[in-house]
Order: sequence, then C-alpha cells, then structure tokens
Amino acid sequence: MNGRSSARWVVLLLCGAGLLSLVLRRSGRDELPLGRDDHLWRLSYEIDFKASAAGARLRVAVPNGGLHSRVFREDIRYTGLRAERLQKMASTRELSVTTLRGGQFRLEARFDVHLSPRARFREPASASQLTADQRAAYLRGSRTVPINSAVVRERLQYLQQEAPGKKALLGAIFRYCHEQIAADQQGPVDAKTALEESRAAPLGRALAMVALCRAAKFPARLVAGFLLQESLSAAPHFWVEVESGGLWLPYDPEYGYAGQLPADYLPVRLDGIEIVRPGWGVEEFAARYALTAISPHGGAPARRGETLLDILDLTSLPVEIHEVLTLLLLIPLGALVTAVFRTLVGIGTFGTFSPVLLAISFVYADWRTGLLVLGVVFGLGLASRAMLERLKLLLVPRLSVVLTLVVMSIVFAVSVLDYFRLTPGPEAVLLPMVILTMTIERFYLVAEEDGPGYALRTLAGTLMVGACCYLVLQGQAVGRLLLAYPELHFFTVAALVLVGRYTGYRLTELWRFRDFPVETPNQPLPA
Amino acid sequence: MPRSTWRFWRWPGELRRGGVLGMNRRNAEFLFAHNPRARYPLVDDKLLTKQICHQRGIPAPATYAVIERNGDIGRFLRSVARWPEFVVKPAKGAEGRGILVIRRHDGRIFTTVGGQRLDVSELGYHLATILSGLYSLGGQVDRALVEQRIVLHPGFADVAVGGTPDVRVIVYRGVPVMAMLRLPTVASRGRANLYQGAVAAGIDLKTGRTLGGVCRGRAVDCHPDTGRPIAGLTIPAWDSVLRSAMNLADGIGLGYLGVDFVLDAVAGPVVLEANVRPGLAIQIANRAGLVHRLQWIDAHLPAGLSLDQRIRWLQSAKQPADETIVWLASPATSTAESLSALPPPRNASWPCEPSSASY
Repeated sequence: MNGRSSARWVVLLLCGAGLLSLVLRRSGRDELPLGRDDHLWRLSYEIDFKASAAGARLRVAVPNGGLHSRVFREDIRYTGLRAERLQKMASTRELSVTTLRGGQFRLEARFDVHLSPRARFREPASASQLTADQRAAYLRGSRTVPINSAVVRERLQYLQQEAPGKKALLGAIFRYCHEQIAADQQGPVDAKTALEESRAAPLGRALAMVALCRAAKFPARLVAGFLLQESLSAAPHFWVEVESGGLWLPYDPEYGYAGQLPADYLPVRLDGIEIVRPGWGVEEFAARYALTAISPHGGAPARRGETLLDILDLTSLPVEIHEVLTLLLLIPLGALVTAVFRTLVGIGTFGTFSPVLLAISFVYADWRTGLLVLGVVFGLGLASRAMLERLKLLLVPRLSVVLTLVVMSIVFAVSVLDYFRLTPGPEAVLLPMVILTMTIERFYLVAEEDGPGYALRTLAGTLMVGACCYLVLQGQAVGRLLLAYPELHFFTVAALVLVGRYTGYRLTELWRFRDFPVETPNQPLPA
Repeated sequence: MPRSTWRFWRWPGELRRGGVLGMNRRNAEFLFAHNPRARYPLVDDKLLTKQICHQRGIPAPATYAVIERNGDIGRFLRSVARWPEFVVKPAKGAEGRGILVIRRHDGRIFTTVGGQRLDVSELGYHLATILSGLYSLGGQVDRALVEQRIVLHPGFADVAVGGTPDVRVIVYRGVPVMAMLRLPTVASRGRANLYQGAVAAGIDLKTGRTLGGVCRGRAVDCHPDTGRPIAGLTIPAWDSVLRSAMNLADGIGLGYLGVDFVLDAVAGPVVLEANVRPGLAIQIANRAGLVHRLQWIDAHLPAGLSLDQRIRWLQSAKQPADETIVWLASPATSTAESLSALPPPRNASWPCEPSSASY
C-alpha cells in the first residue's frame, strides 16, 4: 500500500471513528436522565457601569455551587474590559474586571446550575482549617456588624440569661432573629436598627444574627446568594453561616432554616454583602439578576465519579477548569490553521507553532496590550541582539542573554502599564518568552542571511497566521462544542492528514511562478 | 519570448502543463522518497562532502588545513606563510556565514577581499569562534576549514558583481536534470543568494550555455548592475561539471540534491558544497519545469547503473524532442578547450540597460 492510499484509509478511519463516537456520545447524552427532583437553572447577570477612566475596577462574585448545586456551564461576555478570575479566601469565586478606557460598559454573565436535592456535589464547608487570623476575622466587629454597640450587648445579655450554655445560646440567637425581628421587606438593612426596631429586611435580620453570634464569640459570616426560583429581576438573598464543631452551619433567619438549607439556596459571596463590588473609577453601576429554569435537554452533564466512562466526559469536570480545557482543545485547530497557511497558502512563519503560542497569550491577555508589549519587547530584543552580535557570543549564552532581556522588558512593560493604571493580569505575562526569544534570534539571522525584506515578510506572515489562530482560539462557542465533543478532533487529525498529503501548488507559488512561460514551454532563449 | 510583466499569477493548470514543481510536491514526492535522513550529515558537514570528493576524484578547492581543536590554531598561524591567500570557513556553516577570504597577508596583518584588515589575534579569535559553533547549524561544536581561494573566472567578470558566481546542478537519481548559474549583484552584497537579489541564469544542459535568468522572482535577461546580457555565457568544462555532480550524488547517496560549483580561473569548476533542499526558482531561470524531466527519469532510467553506464545510457537514450531533458555530452569537448575558448557574452535579442535602481 503506498503512502497515498494508506493516507486515504487513515482519513476514512478517523472520520468513521469521529462519527461513531459522536453518535455514541449523543445517544448517551439523550439517555442520561436527570434525577427525579433535579432541575436546571440559569442565573444571569447584567451589569452596566460607567468608568471615569481606564483602569476602573469592579469585582463580581460568581456562583461556585453548593452542597446540592453545581455550576456546569458559564458564559461571560464583555467588550473593552479585561477580566481575570480570582479565587478568594472562603472559596468565593470572583471576577476582577478592569476597563481599558473610560466610558459606559456592560458585562453579561450566565451560569447554568444543576440542582439536585439528592446529590452532594461538595462536602459541607469545613471550618476546621481556619487559621487563627481567619478565625479572628470572623469574630471581629465592623461597621455593618457592630458587636460592641449597646443594643447588641443588651440583647445578647438577655439571651444568655434565657439560654445558659453555648449550644442553647446559638439556638436562642437564631430563634430571636427569626421570631422576634419581624420580617419587613422595606425594613432596615443594618443590624443595629434591626435590633432596635425589631423589624428588618432579610439582610438586616441576617446581619443582626451575625452581630449577635460574633458578640457571643461564635465565628459567623454573612452569605449572599440566590434562591433558585423563576424571576426576571431576582434580588440576592442573605443568610448566615456559623462555625460549629469544625463545620460552617447555615442559618436562614428569614425562612427559619437552621443547620441545613433546602437545595435551592445558591451561595455566591461568602462573608460579604454585595454581589458586585465597585472599585476605583466606577462612577455609577446597575446590576440586574435573573433566574430562569432551563429545559433538561439543555444537557446538564452527569456528575463525575459514577462510572469509569465519566473520564471521557470533560463537561462533568469542575467549571473552573473548563476555561483552560477549552483553550487547550482549541490549540489543535490553531495548528490546523498554521498547517493550512504553510502548506496550502505558502506563507512562511518563524517557527512552526510560534503563531499559535502567540495567539494563546493574546487570548489570555487583552490583544491590544499584548500587541503593544509584543512590539516593545520585540524591538528591544532585536536591538539588543544586534548589539550582542559585536560580542560574538556562542549560541546558548547569546540566546540566554536575549531571554533575560526579554524577561526584563516584559516585567518593566507590566510596571509601565501599571503606572498608567492598566495593570495587566498575570496571564499577560504568559507571553511566550522563549518563543519570543527564538523569534528574535531567527528574525535577526534571516535578516542577515536572506535580507531584511524577506525577514519582514516572514514576520508579517507569522503575525498574520497568529491573528487567524487568535480568531480561532477566541471562538468560545467552538471551544464549548469541543469540550462537549472532544472526539471532533478525529476530524481535525483527518484534515491534517489531508493537508499533509497535499502535493499541489501553494497559493503563493501561483504568484512566485508568474513569470513562468506557459505558451511556449521549455523553449530556450534566442541566442 | 515576450515577457508577461502584466501577469500577477499563473493558474495551477498552466503551471501543471508547464511541469512546474511546487514546494509540497518536491518535499513529499522527491525529498521524502529519495533522501534518507541518515545521509544528511554528509551534506551538512562540508568536510565530509569534501572527503567524498577526494575519494572519488571530484575537483574541489584544495584543503590547506583542518582545524579541529583550539590547540591547532597556533600551529596553523605559525605555518600560515605557506599560503599567500586562503579561505577560512566553518565546516557546518550555512549561507556563507563565518567565511573569511584572505587576499594577502604578511604573517601579521591579513587583508580580506572586502579590504578589512585583521591582525593575527583577530584571525585566531575568528577561528576559535568557528570551533565553538558560532556559525554552525544548531550551534554544534564545529571544525574550521582552510582552503584554496577561488579566483573569479575572467569570463564572468562582467556579470558577477562583488563576489564569485556559482553553478548549481540538480541531480535526480544520479542524473543531472537542471542547472543554473547564480551571479552576485550589488543587492545581494556579493553573495550568490537568490533571496537577497542575486541573479540566476538557466543553463542548457546540452551545451552548458546560459539562457535567460531570474532576479527577485522576475524573469530578467540582463544583469541588473552591469546591464550585460546573462544569456549566452558558456560554462567552462561543462562535461566535467555534470560528471562531477553525478559522481558526488552517487557518493553522498541522496536521490534528489543540488550540487554547487564555483568557477575558478585556474582549476575550472570545483565543488563548493551540496544542498539537500535545492530551491525551485531554478525553474523560472530555465523557463522550464522540473516535473516532466523527473517523471521521464522515473519512467526510463534503469535501476542500478554505474556512473559510466549511466552516462552511456544518457547518450543513447531517446529523449522527447521538445525537452532538453538531460545531458547529452559531446565527447569532443575537453576541459582545456572549453576553458580557453570561452566566448565573450553575446548580445541578446532585446536591449539591455544597466539598472538605474540603487540598492
């Protein structure tokens, strides 16, 4: 069997395998039953804000799932912003958003939540790992938790007389907030007034309970989240978690749940009031939240760890990993783009995969900042490389010097951007330094050997292929599809095999051989 | 032949009819299929290529010294008076990097062709950097080669600017299939590198006479700097060039390679190096595609022929009338004869003007 026909067989086999596994997975997914009491919900954020200048900051808490709920899909959209994920203490997931200019901005986010009363998606939050500092923080008073105010002390004294003993006191505090403080949606939202007037909104009741708990030396924290029920303008709900026996036990003074909450409580921010926390430079902002039930055919994937086949299901991995996995799964598509450009179009690049790697760093960083940093680093690197030529250094030390300079210029580029309040996220520093170093070296050598014109053409080719890879890698929808159906890469490999067997002309060769005589082939010149 | 300056591209069908070999096809069907990877070092290391030349009696620039260790440098510099002029080059260098051509010296001061003056310590340092791999592929430790300086053949003085022209012969399965003469220009800074703007002229394999050429991807008929026509030059000792190319290809054991010769005023064509990935611009220079010739060889060349058998077979094989496919040597031409009887450049059929472009 020659190369051509075996390649054909390989392509057929790959396509067959791809189709088969797609069909199998599809039918498997259809069969996958949601539990009897399971529901799927979509929590949407719509945040509009005005930034006075570039560098304005906003922190948005995003749901992380609870005991019975699990975020299986998320989609965050914005333009003109740079967002990075933070995992804070007490396991609140946050999105830190920085604007790249002043003006009006909108951030939209959607979180799809799988709610299953029977499942235990995560163990109850353990409090035994608390450090002394953290513990002290959960006992400290503050403006919203006035543990030293007269009314708190007086109520606590009364409750201590009513219920001597630690365990009874916690019950008494909860009962007091639930029963003695009347529910009033328009009522006060701070602990002091709530205790004074004995009526409060849910936030006021919850804060009153936190204040009483902390004053009684129970580590306690406020939890802001949502109750999963259909609502186009959902308001956050607030409850309390108290440390008891090494666990954080939930209490909801509003609806009277103690020690255990129904499944439809979705925590978002632990130890804080605001879902969206405006920071420097945010002039005005409005956040709207909506909760809608979604149809079970939306495909909530099974939760992990039930069968060995779950390994093949990437969507059942924790949602935090999804973003990275999506990007990884898109890389082969970037490689395919590179292969097409090199083999079919005939555009040369410095290094085979440097365009893809550059594109990845641009996906992580903002592309404008990335391009600026790239330009500066490349220029400095090239200038230093030209100076190094005089020193006549050997290859590895020479490359290492350039690498050091590249690292230094990236570090200082970050510092300069920070000076202009455009602090790039840590991902921006991911700019592939080694690739950049090799590109600088190759550019220099090619410019020396084949002329600066050829080197510039190759550089332009590298950037162009990189830009196309960027467009592919940015495709969140494609990435999500690949996460759900990674077997689609069977087709990628098949396409690569086909490209690899292409022996026709490259597009640029049609131009390159434009002076090739066709009317009178192979006729020698008149002598 | 009218030059189609208005055309910005050719259709794939046109190129296919013309038998133009594209990069993908060259790699897939000829390089992968006929060039075993294990043989590449013989080409990458000029010293190994040269050893094959010596073993097979192929003319190559005389080797004066091979410097392998730093200790050899002092010994070489002490005995340097034996050679009034010489070339220093890295064995694994590429694209002419690290080559130093010494025109004259008095044992202390060395003057290069470019007029640069180096003292003994600078020359020693240059040799040390070669040994440490500064110019070698991938930065590997290298050897320095000291060899005979090539003196420009007087017949090419009008068409070579600031450097030495070279002749490339593409050899497929031991048969020369296409050749070109590469001429340095001002733009290429004296190097016979087509990317940098050197001119290439196709060579009629039958006669060793140049045809029109290519410069920066465009068909040209005159040297851009001197304005002299580049067609009609005769390469001296053409038979010996082709025979050497075949002989070297056999020695290296690669099925598809380019063999580069330089034209020395005294020694005639000598092998400079071989190239495993010879470029494709040679087809524009020759106004002919490679595919038909390669296919003709695949279809007709009997396997397992020795060098002499192959030459005899080529002289007797019936070739298609419209293709100057492979070399049909006329036994009468001897090396000495062609060297002395080099005709002056002829006028081409269209006027040639010196280029006004400044580089």
